[in-house]
Amino acid sequence: MSPGPISSPTSLDELWKRIGGVLGGEGALPTRVAEAALLATGARDATIYLKEKDAWIRVGEKLGGPPQPGEIPEPLPERAWISDGHLWLPLAAEGEIHGLLKLLDVPEGEATEQAAMLAFLFGSLVGAYRLARQVRDAEFELKARLLELESLYDLGLSLGGQLDLSALADEVLFRSISLTDAGKGTLVLREDSGAVLLERSVGGEVIAAADVAGWSIPEGGEINNAAASVPTAGMRLSTCEKCLVVAISVGERRLGVLAVADKESRDGRVLDFTPTDARLLSLFANQAAAAIETARLHRSAIEKERIERELELAATIQQQILPHDLPDVPGVAIAARNIPTRQVGGDYFDLLPLSNGRLAFLVADVSGKGVPAALLVSTVHAAVHLQIEEAKTIPDLVSRIDRHLQRYAAARKFLTLFFGLLEPGTGRLRYVSAGHNPALLRRADGTIEQLRATGVPLGMLPSASWKEATLTMERGDLLCVYTDGVTEALDAAEKEFGLERLSALLTGGAGKSPVELCRDVFDSVGSFAHDVPQYDDQTLLLVERT
Amino acid sequence: MSETCKVSSERRGDVVIIWTDGYINNQGGEEIAREAYVHLDQGARALVLNLEKTRIVNSIGISILIEVLEKVMDKKGVLAFCALTPTIDKTFRIMGLAQYAEIYPTQEDALRGVEPQSA
Repeated sequence: MSPGPISSPTSLDELWKRIGGVLGGEGALPTRVAEAALLATGARDATIYLKEKDAWIRVGEKLGGPPQPGEIPEPLPERAWISDGHLWLPLAAEGEIHGLLKLLDVPEGEATEQAAMLAFLFGSLVGAYRLARQVRDAEFELKARLLELESLYDLGLSLGGQLDLSALADEVLFRSISLTDAGKGTLVLREDSGAVLLERSVGGEVIAAADVAGWSIPEGGEINNAAASVPTAGMRLSTCEKCLVVAISVGERRLGVLAVADKESRDGRVLDFTPTDARLLSLFANQAAAAIETARLHRSAIEKERIERELELAATIQQQILPHDLPDVPGVAIAARNIPTRQVGGDYFDLLPLSNGRLAFLVADVSGKGVPAALLVSTVHAAVHLQIEEAKTIPDLVSRIDRHLQRYAAARKFLTLFFGLLEPGTGRLRYVSAGHNPALLRRADGTIEQLRATGVPLGMLPSASWKEATLTMERGDLLCVYTDGVTEALDAAEKEFGLERLSALLTGGAGKSPVELCRDVFDSVGSFAHDVPQYDDQTLLLVERT
Repeated sequence: MSETCKVSSERRGDVVIIWTDGYINNQGGEEIAREAYVHLDQGARALVLNLEKTRIVNSIGISILIEVLEKVMDKKGVLAFCALTPTIDKTFRIMGLAQYAEIYPTQEDALRGVEPQSA
C-alpha cells in the first residue's frame, strides 16, 4: 500500500453515519476517536498521540508513556506515512498538526481513503481537544502557583505556633516534597556542635545525615541535575538521579539542610530541578529556620527550667537534712552556718546531743557539687544517724560510714569529715579527722592549735582506718571546724581568704560569742571576696566550752 | 508513612472504599487509578477515597486524581474523599478537586453522603 497525500473527503456524510455513534459515546475523546478509526478502517489497533509542549504523548483511557525513540520522525511529515506495518496520519487543523493517528494493519484500497477522510475530520476534533487540554493545564499550573503561595503563607502561620521540633520538621519536609513534585526528601537539623539533632526522610534518604557537618551549600541552594554520583554541596547523595539542596540558616548559623530529589513527571521521567524550584525551597527553608530556632530556644528553656526545678527540689531536701535549730547543750555554746554556692551544695554539718550530756558534731565536705553531691550528703546523713547508736568508738563509726558509702555511693565519690565528741563536763574532746581541713582550736588565751587529719577521706580507699585523737577543751576554748569554701574563698585577684585570716578573726574575737564570731567570719569573707562569685560551699561550725 | 503508596479497596454494594497509605505521587496515583478503574469497569457507582494514612500529595498525584474524577463523571458516578489532613484538604480545594467531588471528615460521613438521594 502506498498512500498519497490526505485527500479531500467525498463522502463525509456517509462516514459520519458509521462512526457518529461511537464518537458521541462515553469515554475520553481520544479513546472515542481511536475506536471510530478502528470501525471506519478495519485496522487491528489504533493509537492517538498528542503534541504536548515539546513532546509527544500517547493518550486514551489515561495518559501513557511517550512513543518509542525514533518512532515519530523529525521533522514531522505533513503527509501520511507507513512505518513498521503502521499507517501514521497527521491530525491537522488550521495549518497545525495537533496529533497523530497510528493504525495497525489497515486493509488496502478503500480503507486507506477512509483513513485519509478520518484524518481530516479528526484533525479539528483533536485540535479542539488539545486546546481544551492546554487550557486545563494552564489552569492547573495557575492553581499550582496559587497553592505554592498559600502554602508559604500557611507554613508561616502554622510554624509560628509550632514548638514541637519533630512536628515542625515533618510539616516543612512534607510541604517541600509536595510542592516540588519530588519523589523523596530529607531534612536534617544539627546542633551548633555539628551533631545531628533530628533527621527525617520521606520516600528514601537523599543525603547522609552524617555529612551535614561538611556541607558547603551556596546562597539560594544548589541544583544537581547531573548523575547522583556527583557530590552535592560536599555531601554524598543516596540513590537519586537529580537533587536540590538548600541550607536552613539563621544569619551565619547553619541549622540544617533541606534536600529533595527526583522531580516527577506524569509520564514517569525524572525532571530537572529549576531555579524556580530552588527559590521555592529556599523560601520554605527561610520560613522553617526562624520557626526551628524558636522551637530550639523553647526546648532549651524548658530543659533549663526542668534542671532548676530538680535543683530546687534537691536543695529543699538538703535543707531538711541540715539542722534548723541548734541543740541547747549545757556547758556549750554553739554557732553554725552553711552557704551553698549553687542551689544544692556538697557541705554537710550536724549536731547530735547524746546521753550523759555529751555532744557529737561533724562537718563534712563532699567531692563535687549539685545533685550528685547532695545525694551523697543524704547518704552520709542517713549512715550517721543509723550507725551512731551502734558504733562502739568514733573510728568504728567512721569505718561504718565509709563501708556504707563504698556500698551505696557512686564510684569516685569521696568526702572529708571531721567528727567530734565532746563531754562538756570534763572538756574531753575525742575526734577523728578524715582528710578534713585542720580544725582550729582557739584557746582562751587566744592561741591557735591546728587539729590535723587522723586518716584519709572516706570513700577513697577500700580498707582504710582512722585513728582517734583526744584533747581537753578548757572553759573559754573554742573549736572552729570549717570547709575549704571558707578559707579558699577568692577575691578579684584570685587570692585566697586563707587560714591566717580565719585564725586572726578567732584570736581577735576573744570574748565574743560563737554566734557573733560566726557572723564576723562570714562578714569578713564576704568583704574579702566582694562581688566575686564563689564556686565552693562555705560551712562553719563553732563550739565553745563555757 | 510508607515510602511507596499502598492502596487497598473493599466493595460494599455499588460503593467502593479505597484506602491509601503513603505518598500520593505518580506511583501512588497510578495505584489508585488502577484500583478505581477496575471497580468502575465492574459497575461500581461511587468511590470513596479514604486518605487517613496519607500526608503528602503532589501535583502529579492530583492530576491523576482529576483523571479518575473525570472517568467517574463520564460514567455518571460519584467520587468522595474523606479523612484528609488540613493541608491536603486545602490543596484539593485550591486545585479544584472539591468542585466536583465532596470532601467528608470521616468515612462514615462519606458513605452516607454517596448514598442515592431518595425522592
